[in-house]
Amino acid sequence: MTVFKAFPEAVTPTQALRSMLEAMLSKHLVDAVLVPARSPYGKLPMPMLITDPAGLADIDPLAPVAPFNSARQTATVTRHASGRRLGLFLRPCEISAWRELIKLHQCVHEDTLLISMDCQGRMENDTYLKLAEAQDDPTTAFYRDVYLRDETTVSCRMCERFQPQGADLTLCLLGTASELPVLAVETDAGKRLADDLGLVDCDPPAERASAVSDLRKERQAFRAARFSAITEKIKNMEGFQQLIATCLNCYNCRTACPVCYCRECVFLTDVFAHPPETLLQRASKKGSIKLPADTTMFHMTRLAHMAHACVGCGQCSSVCPSHIPVAEIFQAVAADVQKLFDYQPGRRLDEPIPYLAYGKENP
Amino acid sequence: MNPFEPKIIALVCNWCTYTAADLAGTSRMSYPANIRIVRLMCSGMIDSKYVLKAFLDGADGVFIGGCHPGDCHYIDGNLKAVKRMDGIGSILTRFGFEPERLRLRWIGASEGPEFQHNMTEFVETIKGLGPSPIADRMIL
Repeated sequence: MTVFKAFPEAVTPTQALRSMLEAMLSKHLVDAVLVPARSPYGKLPMPMLITDPAGLADIDPLAPVAPFNSARQTATVTRHASGRRLGLFLRPCEISAWRELIKLHQCVHEDTLLISMDCQGRMENDTYLKLAEAQDDPTTAFYRDVYLRDETTVSCRMCERFQPQGADLTLCLLGTASELPVLAVETDAGKRLADDLGLVDCDPPAERASAVSDLRKERQAFRAARFSAITEKIKNMEGFQQLIATCLNCYNCRTACPVCYCRECVFLTDVFAHPPETLLQRASKKGSIKLPADTTMFHMTRLAHMAHACVGCGQCSSVCPSHIPVAEIFQAVAADVQKLFDYQPGRRLDEPIPYLAYGKENP
Repeated sequence: MNPFEPKIIALVCNWCTYTAADLAGTSRMSYPANIRIVRLMCSGMIDSKYVLKAFLDGADGVFIGGCHPGDCHYIDGNLKAVKRMDGIGSILTRFGFEPERLRLRWIGASEGPEFQHNMTEFVETIKGLGPSPIADRMIL
């Protein structure tokens, strides 16, 4: 049962989070927090592991930018239970990806407290940096001007899972006045934390449900339009080949993918380090072979391995130097596979990965 | 013009379907020469890559053969194969491959005639579908 808590004074959501994290650290409710913050050297917030409350001065967790999906970084600090309690601030897609990594036994959720938000998307880095040039406080500007949502990435605008699954505390940013942030407490652990912090109960934000439903409708419409466009383009291999014709095999998409789970990628092993004889033999089969080889193999293998777990964060598209709509291709295929297995990445921790749950006996 | 002779890759498990193929052979049962058998230790070791590689290199069909459920030499390898083939089938369909080009069947070690029947029938199915949509196309 979700309960709602108000902050004692009128502040911006970022200030509210900062004072909450400060209190969590100084009251020793957690030993460290992982939260996006600006370093002294640049404007892009990066995940920062903070133990000293003074280090919270430059946090900017609500900034409409995320240079990468931080699930993998979260997995490094949660690789095994360290006996330290961690407060994690993650976007909904980061939580889902992190939970997939938990299911793969690459990290654990013990001793963590998850804080998230109604996510309104992230911009590409350069779009955000332009906003940061023009605005002193780009984060507050973003939540005040609803039209800036149109500047977020295609994947964000397609995203229907903008509310976190499994967070202990969710900062309500939809349908709430920007100076009166409200915290939705979703779990017992979250409730204990809210009590320890002395947060007071309040009414559910009256307009949140309708704001959520409006945004969902907007996202669904955009998603449907992008899906039908990409479906048309990949309806045969010819179209797919045209889309990936400029791929350099840089594997940025694989590096950026939070759920690309292999510790060693097969595409970096000898399996795909062909000797000249193999390349010449393959060339002679059809008269020629494009180098680097195995581009289609790479993308389709990634689809086969990861489509069930795609959280739709869109980082694969963001890092593509050739502007290939990797994320749209992935999400269209992922929608089929996730529907086939009735699986949703990160939905529940006790929901097994479909390829690891055997039950079906006949083809 | 020569009639279409499909190229079909059969990935079969050592313990059941390959043994069935052996039995068919020693019993002098014939099946179409379109099938190229690759023997693997278990259908559960068939990564989706193997199926993709076959199709991207121009195979017209891929047949996967494993043990009947409950008979797997490695207990549940064949049950892994079912899920994986469902997933890869769904992906191939997205890119315009007919789902019938990928077939998974359980053929036990003693089922020589079953093996012969399945191979003959699969070749007929693929002949009906015609060449793979990317048969002679350059693939990046």
